[in-house]
Amino acid sequence: MYAIVIGGGRVGYYLSRDLLERGDEVTLVEKDSARAEWLESQLGSIVMRGDGDEMAFLSETGVERADAVVAATGDDEDNLVALQLAKQRFNVPLTIARVNNPANVEIFKKLGVDMAISATEILLNALEPQEPAPVAESPPTAKASQ
Amino acid sequence: MRVLIVGCGRVGSRLASELDGVSNEVTIVDREPSSFNKFAERGLFGENSGVRFVVGDGTDAELLRRAGIEEADCLIAVTEGDNRNIMAAQIAKHVFGVKRVVARIYDPIREETYREMGLDSFCPTIEGANLVRQMISEDSR
Repeated sequence: MYAIVIGGGRVGYYLSRDLLERGDEVTLVEKDSARAEWLESQLGSIVMRGDGDEMAFLSETGVERADAVVAATGDDEDNLVALQLAKQRFNVPLTIARVNNPANVEIFKKLGVDMAISATEILLNALEPQEPAPVAESPPTAKASQ
Repeated sequence: MRVLIVGCGRVGSRLASELDGVSNEVTIVDREPSSFNKFAERGLFGENSGVRFVVGDGTDAELLRRAGIEEADCLIAVTEGDNRNIMAAQIAKHVFGVKRVVARIYDPIREETYREMGLDSFCPTIEGANLVRQMISEDSR
């Protein structure tokens, strides 16, 4: 699989690293040159310096043959636009967004992004009050065994 | 007409003061609390100004709801960021069904793409370049 990851923050870095380890082809896009340099020292030549929402740049990444584009920057609006362009202009089959505002999960889907993932939403769900867990049988105490 | 303007810069504040009046109810949103006062101090919003100011992120659906987007007839997205304008305009159009939506997009290529996608937008870069070209060509005649 060929995946383009936009945004080389922590999320984009670990995602690219693990995709590479899995044997996938990856291009990681980062606009900050200092950060891009560091990413390159870790991951090699898969890193490209540029703006994921600039069309001319996006076409340099080979986006038209990408199986998936993941937008993982910290700004929801940048992620949305990068993925809409990938979809609209380059017919990328799978577009996935990291979203910060959980409300944007539904909004992004409405606006044509295939999948939107919010860490906040996942955490919220994990913290949802659960059915009270069955009381674990306590191991016999010293007192009880007497 | 109820008008919601996202971005209280030069264009946003000017539009707000021009539209403010008998038949218009204008709300302007900006994430920077001081932006409204900046233009008020320059006398843009008069003493009897009815322009309402809401502080917050215009790409946040919940904030837009609080700013009255559900009753708005029109949303104009004129923040400094193309992507923020694109996102605010699309939320207005596709999530809240606002009838008239206008977005400013500085990047000509991006503007063309979104216009093709059905978003009403304008590109100051193209407009500005055209205007200057016209002025120069008039000189050379």
